[in-house]
Amino acid sequence: MVIDKIFFTIITPIFAFAVGLSFMMIKLKVSARIERRYGPPIIQPIYNILKLLLKEENISHGVIFSLGPVIALAGSILTVLFIPYAGIKLFTGSGDLIALMYIMVIGSLGMALGAGESANPNASIGISRALTLMLGYDLPFVIIIISVVLYYHTTNLADIVAAQAHGHWTLWSLPLSAIVGFVVAYGALGEHPFDIITAPHEVATGPMVEYGGKHLGFLVINHAFHIYIEIALFVDLFLGGATNVLWFYVKMFAVFFIMMLFDEVYPRFKIDDAVRFFWKWPTIVALISLIIVLVK
Amino acid sequence: MDRLTEEQAKTIANMLRKRSLWMIHYCTGCGAIELPPTMTSRYDMSRFGLAPFVTPRQSDILLVTGYVNIKTLRRIITVYEQMLDPKYVIGFGSCPINGGVYWDSYSVIKRLDRYIPVDLYIAGCMPRPEAVITAFRTLMDMIDQGKADGYKRYKRNLAYYKENQRKVLG
Amino acid sequence: MNASLELLLATPFIGGLLAFIGGKVHRWIRNLIAIIFSFATAFEIIGYYNVTIKGIVWGKLFGSDLILQTNPITWLFLFIVTSASFLIVLFSIDDMRKEEDELKLDAYYMYLLFVEGAMVGIVLAGDLITFFMFWEIMSWTSYFLIIHGGKRSMAAGYKYIIMSVIGAYAMFLAMAMLYAKAHSLVYTDVANVLLHSSPAFVIWTIVLLAIGFFVKAAVMPLHTWLPDAHSEAPSPVSPLLSGVLIKMGAYGLFVVLYGLISVKLAGSLMPSVFSTPLLLYIIQWLAALSIVLATFLAIMQEDAKRLLAYSSISQIGYVVLGIATGTSLGVAGGLFHALNHAIFKGLLFLVVGAVIYRTGTRNLSELGGLIKKMPFSFVALLLGIIALAGVPPLNGFVSKWMIYEALLQKKEVFLLIMAFVGSTGAFLYVYRLVHSIFLGQLPKKYENVKDVPILMQIPIWVLALLTIVLGIMPGLAMNVIVKGMAFFGFKPIAYNLFGFPQGTAMGALTTINISAGLAIAFVVAWILFILFPKSRKVSQYDNYAAGQVVTEDLKYNYSYGFYMSFSRVIKPILKWSIERVYNYWVEAAKIFGDYYMRRIYTGNLETYNAYIVIVITLAAAFVLLGGKIW
Repeated sequence: MVIDKIFFTIITPIFAFAVGLSFMMIKLKVSARIERRYGPPIIQPIYNILKLLLKEENISHGVIFSLGPVIALAGSILTVLFIPYAGIKLFTGSGDLIALMYIMVIGSLGMALGAGESANPNASIGISRALTLMLGYDLPFVIIIISVVLYYHTTNLADIVAAQAHGHWTLWSLPLSAIVGFVVAYGALGEHPFDIITAPHEVATGPMVEYGGKHLGFLVINHAFHIYIEIALFVDLFLGGATNVLWFYVKMFAVFFIMMLFDEVYPRFKIDDAVRFFWKWPTIVALISLIIVLVK
Repeated sequence: MDRLTEEQAKTIANMLRKRSLWMIHYCTGCGAIELPPTMTSRYDMSRFGLAPFVTPRQSDILLVTGYVNIKTLRRIITVYEQMLDPKYVIGFGSCPINGGVYWDSYSVIKRLDRYIPVDLYIAGCMPRPEAVITAFRTLMDMIDQGKADGYKRYKRNLAYYKENQRKVLG
Repeated sequence: MNASLELLLATPFIGGLLAFIGGKVHRWIRNLIAIIFSFATAFEIIGYYNVTIKGIVWGKLFGSDLILQTNPITWLFLFIVTSASFLIVLFSIDDMRKEEDELKLDAYYMYLLFVEGAMVGIVLAGDLITFFMFWEIMSWTSYFLIIHGGKRSMAAGYKYIIMSVIGAYAMFLAMAMLYAKAHSLVYTDVANVLLHSSPAFVIWTIVLLAIGFFVKAAVMPLHTWLPDAHSEAPSPVSPLLSGVLIKMGAYGLFVVLYGLISVKLAGSLMPSVFSTPLLLYIIQWLAALSIVLATFLAIMQEDAKRLLAYSSISQIGYVVLGIATGTSLGVAGGLFHALNHAIFKGLLFLVVGAVIYRTGTRNLSELGGLIKKMPFSFVALLLGIIALAGVPPLNGFVSKWMIYEALLQKKEVFLLIMAFVGSTGAFLYVYRLVHSIFLGQLPKKYENVKDVPILMQIPIWVLALLTIVLGIMPGLAMNVIVKGMAFFGFKPIAYNLFGFPQGTAMGALTTINISAGLAIAFVVAWILFILFPKSRKVSQYDNYAAGQVVTEDLKYNYSYGFYMSFSRVIKPILKWSIERVYNYWVEAAKIFGDYYMRRIYTGNLETYNAYIVIVITLAAAFVLLGGKIW
């Protein structure tokens, strides 16, 4: 039992990374095909990460600058352990959905601190935008979390998954929440049209402006985790989790594939427009869904 | 499993490096106009793992597209020194080679490799995207064979480069 | 150890007086006395850990007994008051040394200890007269502390004392009403009377008392004094005000809601919304509005202490929100958050005070990059902001989690949404704080800044350690809170040292797993990180600027108007200001006063003579009639 737990604790972050990385690979290829290009080789992200890690020289602006990517990665690894997948629930009993919401922040905080120490205004602007956008999508996010929690009368993510296994997926019972959840997860991933944070032409890749070499490599790894976290949470909350790894992967891939299509067609929101957007339609729809849950 | 020797490790690292080259294009002159077709669907340089990037910290290749005058030289040197090893420089078009049409201008640098080490030149005014891609492929081969060692030369002959830079920049 | 309650109450007052006298001899004698007596007070409360003493009569006034009492909740607040005061006295020794006027300093220490004594008195009070007496001592002595800072603090203190007096009048009115009915103001008597009173009477009592508490606790819309007073007060006083003094409002609310009346009684008097009595529900809404609006205002600030002051309004909102839920979990969460807020807000104000001590400015856009010069302060501030933002594994997270869960259990969804949004908004302003002070570019003028002296660091470290300890082991605080709440008739909640098992709330929480998991994940990531080539340290001027060379004279930093884009979003909200409404009334009162004053004080000597004659005649008539008018 204990051996099991230790084994899965080690294997889960690796699994999460592999899933996130595979999505990154597929995304490069799919977006290339949509743009009528051939696209890079499918394992290009692996080359990129390894090249970055193997750079002969790295620069650092200080201790926190170096620790930033490390804390970001540590936060992501921790978060992954709290998300149940394919019937495996490791730490889910030690922190419920509300705790998870705040555990997810640890990584971003580390990232923000590291970027802040680079003493570059582009990084600061990027962080300012990232936090503003976070406040933007947080409002609809908490509303849908509350509606799901009140619908199932528990904040334990594993119980929510189990309840869906016996009944309907939340997608069918709370369709409005699911739609908003998709928009929020999409916004949290920072894809078009919400990619003003890292906009290369305006703020020179935002928070990452001074990061290069192994630091940047860690951030790319962290991005793979980030993709996994957002989508796995969506699958657990709305698509009923899964009983085996393959089915879980398929569900995640379906969600990610739709996201990729959105990513390709949209231009960029200005940051205040993005916040206004999140505080308007997603919030209204989420509130309607919440009221339906309350009245029921 | 035996421990990798340093030589083998370097070979593997070079193999990886040549497959993922990120470039920062310093668009000083008209040469930049040839890059969009190279990047986009028609020629699609991402096939070779090449991608345009923004800041010198993230990039491996410095692409100097066009003439370099004294004012921009200072920026180019800053950008070059901010890049992380290993880093490569490509001179694009005839201007960085010998000044091109600006060969007798008072304010334009004639030979870029007197100031920073250039690994590769692409001749032509302008070089077509095919030529650009050929250049990148050549650079990849050079990296694979360990010949693209401009950054090492820069460190070795720092006094020489600094002297030349000082002469122009003052 | 086993000092009697009277001695406990008297210690800070005696210390204050002695410190003032000692200051006449030598400043170190004064400092030593202040330290010893504030430590003695903190030491004396150890004996009262989880002790309940029903009541000690220490005097009699208007036929009502004056009573001191203690129970675990009292102990919790005693702990906050005495330990915070001790740490603040320690911090003051070095920080206030720049004050040259020794007489002013003597008075400063006296008032500091008097405020502590007054707060001890409030907490120990077993009747409303004692409570009110010490409440007023606290208001006035803290007013003298606030105006210590100079001209601008004078105006801030004026605003503070005016609003405090208004609050005190409201409380006094409530007390008079109760006294007229009960002829005694002992809590137990008052509770008995309220049990058999009409609903209108009970509601009016609560409303009037709550106005007094809300002024002190700075719940919107009675908060307008706080940002000025807390930011203009001297650096060591701000943590006392923000961390401790505003908690007295929360304590008063707790005593009135659950000591004088009970939720059951309140529920029987008025309609309920979401199974909360209407009045409590309104209080909750005020608290929730405080949370959101004060957070938004804090995001806009350019002044470190003002930012923290607005954040205090927002965090006290969580305390009041928790206390007003009326369920065991919510009230426990509210009380725990009061303790946590005292710790992390004290910590943040002290660190900002340390920064001001070294740099002489609290303007966020003038600071930056101090992490290289003041690394210890940076770590302390980092712990403080993580706790404030409610991110695990530090203490602020646990109490906020309890409040969220309590609101979820009661399905008070709209309040919950506001609490969540306030918490996310907190990320914005805490990041602003750490970024603008410690990260970013170091201005040239702060090249020679170093960390603060050891005497100023000790309080910072004690508080920083507490954020970690209570974050990992919330059970330590729960021991006190749950026992104390049983005293007020609450059902005990299930807890253990490391959190809450399934069944207490809608989910479970084990803090040790989160913190241990984070530590292990961090070590793993760190080992991965150091496997790869070491980094070369570069200067802050070797920076990306699109090829431009960054030089020392160039300010290459983004620190002014950090959330400009966000302020554009919330501009419609910011147009509304309760302060403007108050100013309108002040203006109206002024015009009214001017007009009628001129009718009375005409400036004409004959009119004044006539007044004198009339008054003397009336007084003579009064005496001649044997002191009887009719």
